[in-house]
Amino acid sequence: MTNNSFVKALFAGSIEQDLIFPYPKMDKEEEENLKLILDTVRQFAKDNIDSVAIDRDETIPKEVLQGLAEIGLFGMSIPEEYGGSGFSTTAYNRVFEEIGSIDGSLAVTLGGHQSIGLKALLLHGTEEQKKKYLPKLASGEWIAAFALTEPGAGSDAAGIQSLAVKDVQKGHYVLNGSKIWITNGGIADFFTVFAKTPVGESGEKKISALAVTRDMEGFSSGKEERKLGIHGSSTTELIFDNIKVPVENLIGPEGKGFKVAMEVLNSGRLGLAAGCAGGIKTLIRMSVDHAKNRKQFNTPIAEFEMIQGKITKMVVDVFVLESMVYLTTGLIDRGDIDYSIESSICKVYASEAVWNAVNEAMQIAGGIGYSKEYPYERALRDARINLIFEGTNEVLRAFIALAGMQEHGEYLKKVGKALQHPLNEMGVLTDYALHRIKKRVATERLADVHEALKNEVGKFEEYAKELHLATEKVLSKYRKQIIHREFILNRLADMTIDLYAMIAVISRVDSLLKEKGEKKTHKQLTICKTFCEEAWRRIRRNARQVDNNIDPWRKEISTDACEANGYQFDWVD
Amino acid sequence: MKIIVCMKQVPVKDSLLKITDDGSWVHETDLNYEINESDHYALEEALRLKEAHSGEVVLLSMGPERVREAIKQGLAKGADRAIHIDNSSFTTQDPFVNARVLAAAIKREEFDLVLSGLQTDDYGSAQTGVILAENLGVPSATIVMEIQKQNGGIKVKRELESGWFQWVELPLPSLLTIQSGINQIRYATIKGIMMAKKKEIKALGLSELGLSESDVEEGQTGLVFSKIYVPEKTKKTEIFEGDPREVAQKLADKLKNEAKVI
Ligand SMILES: Cc1cc2nc3c(=O)[nH]c(=O)nc-3n(C[C@H](O)[C@H](O)[C@H](O)COP(=O)(O)OP(=O)(O)OC[C@H]3O[C@@H](n4cnc5c(N)ncnc54)[C@H](O)[C@@H]3O)c2cc1C
Repeated sequence: MTNNSFVKALFAGSIEQDLIFPYPKMDKEEEENLKLILDTVRQFAKDNIDSVAIDRDETIPKEVLQGLAEIGLFGMSIPEEYGGSGFSTTAYNRVFEEIGSIDGSLAVTLGGHQSIGLKALLLHGTEEQKKKYLPKLASGEWIAAFALTEPGAGSDAAGIQSLAVKDVQKGHYVLNGSKIWITNGGIADFFTVFAKTPVGESGEKKISALAVTRDMEGFSSGKEERKLGIHGSSTTELIFDNIKVPVENLIGPEGKGFKVAMEVLNSGRLGLAAGCAGGIKTLIRMSVDHAKNRKQFNTPIAEFEMIQGKITKMVVDVFVLESMVYLTTGLIDRGDIDYSIESSICKVYASEAVWNAVNEAMQIAGGIGYSKEYPYERALRDARINLIFEGTNEVLRAFIALAGMQEHGEYLKKVGKALQHPLNEMGVLTDYALHRIKKRVATERLADVHEALKNEVGKFEEYAKELHLATEKVLSKYRKQIIHREFILNRLADMTIDLYAMIAVISRVDSLLKEKGEKKTHKQLTICKTFCEEAWRRIRRNARQVDNNIDPWRKEISTDACEANGYQFDWVD
Repeated sequence: MKIIVCMKQVPVKDSLLKITDDGSWVHETDLNYEINESDHYALEEALRLKEAHSGEVVLLSMGPERVREAIKQGLAKGADRAIHIDNSSFTTQDPFVNARVLAAAIKREEFDLVLSGLQTDDYGSAQTGVILAENLGVPSATIVMEIQKQNGGIKVKRELESGWFQWVELPLPSLLTIQSGINQIRYATIKGIMMAKKKEIKALGLSELGLSESDVEEGQTGLVFSKIYVPEKTKKTEIFEGDPREVAQKLADKLKNEAKVI
């Protein structure tokens, strides 16, 4: 991982404009191909995918998966030499978005397979491993899964207990332990398993990634979990009972498995975000259709402003989300960058936007929205998982703030202030050292952005500075204890999310304005302005109360409730 | 077997059509286009024949720049190469003229079989294919549902009316117009799509086809489009009242004898 991260630099007070402008653009030929692929996916879905049946029968028919595999959707991100199509990150995510617009179970199944299941192989696999497994995974003959979570280790993934002890003589690890909540657990043949391995002289236990296959003796998967939504996706426990995993199945360096897992999740989160964007687009279509046709008070409900507010939010959200996701994927395709914070931002924003969208779509639908005969309730059940998996939004918010802050810490060190110990306790923080400290943030400006965005640019510059200053303020007050000040981390994360969202839409609309002119970009400009207006006000509120003095009250109320084992103020004694 | 498939791009079904002020045609700028339905089946049939008997499938499409998208789709599904006739300068709705241009392109090729859709979803005239056969001087069969290769020729199943079919034998080369729904159309694969860029799309204009402006002049066949309009509504609603039994009887009678739907 290299050093370029727009958001990290932002924390340190510098606006790395070159990273963000101009907005990335796909080359023409790839875009043409992408269009055709999307057409194929849509047509296939129209002919073959029955979401009602998938939800009801709690499985995706084999023929559907096979059909998708034949089209090539299982190997999009796999290089051509291993039987895949070698898509760019942008193309992969755009197709994934389409899948998200079609069916939640399918998106989770395919995401479990290639966004995370086989990703470690792509990133760190040896040539032999790639040759051995990728062709089967690309063709869909095998499905992949990513196995990190354990009963005792969810958010705190570093706490996993599965153990793989190397037997040097026999040339294998002996793997014991179990995993829970593993997507594709019941249907996969290939598993990227994370387990502790004693490393080096001291035998200190560190996490390593192993390629485990279903045919290995001692491997078993449990029964299917019964879930709220994404019924068609398989989720099971995995049990490892003295599995002999050949040493050559180690993925990446021994003891570096945690880093591997985080890298995989960074890219997985983008896929998840893209899938949510697709979901929101579908919900907008449904909502608009209903709002135009349903009349109350002799008026299509689409004409009521409260309904318009809901539709507007969905449209603005998905525009912003697209802007962020494809900015980030574009950066990845352009070159080596660190996008860990950016992809977390996309994941948090996307999952909350799709959750809002299902909620509002259901509200617009009224009574029928609540009926099993209509797709709204399924959409709602399917969408909910996004806030939980691939890092809960709480943990990701803490990560966004702390990883950014660590950057700020580096900055403070560089400018001679004392902050001796970078905040590395979360385990997931990177060791990126700031190398481009420029001028103080107060003078940081965006240059050459289109005139029509002057106001938005001004607000961005102003509030980018606020993030830097707010970080400085809380960091010098709480030092290392900031890790425990989650009310504050939450606000810093929200500010960061809004800032990245602002710069992403500004960059996208700036490029559109320059390419197509103001008249043809009018609608996008309106969306951009609407979002930026709302965003800077939120940022201002978060900045002003970043270290809010009612936080102790909040803490007290929750602590009381925990002590009282519930609510203690019922007016009937 | 060398097969040429004629493929046209037509406005997407259910498009909202806006007629031009002079009533001569519809506004095309806001429309999305797709491959004509029966042409899909013609292509699929051609690909299957090629897979069974080897050979080559060549796509032939006439239309403005946008039809390249349809061509690419066909190439992605497995056609070997394509010919694109850009007709922006001489767009006509006259099947006779269009068939003449297509014929000029096909005559430059050697072929065993020309397949086209039965009719296009925009006009539904079902003329171009058969006129094209005349231009090429080859026998033709219409509304074809099945093709069997035989020694020296083919045997095809044609759809007649009221569930009747007819088997006809034809020599090669010949031309068939293909009925929709006769096979299971394949999906373009990602690999196919990515390989399509390597396939040839030959662009031909009037001069390369050995045609002149007068060959494509509008109105020369006497076919003139005088006006395009949305069908006028003549719908009337009848309400039956009275005893449910009688009403049901009446309704059944109407459905059977007037609406002829049961
Ligand atoms: C359908 C489904 C599919 C899944 N697929 C996979 C998979 O394929 N592979 C895999 O490895 N895992 C998978 N998971 C597991 C998933 O990633 C975890 O459930 C998730 O990371 C949360 O862990 P947990 O369930 O242990 O919750 P916990 O970690 O116990 O969290 C409970 C609550 O506490 C909060 N919390 C925890 N720590 C903090 C903190 N420091 N600050 C603030 N709040 C905190 C959380 O945000 C959450 O609200 C899947 C889960 C589900 C439900």
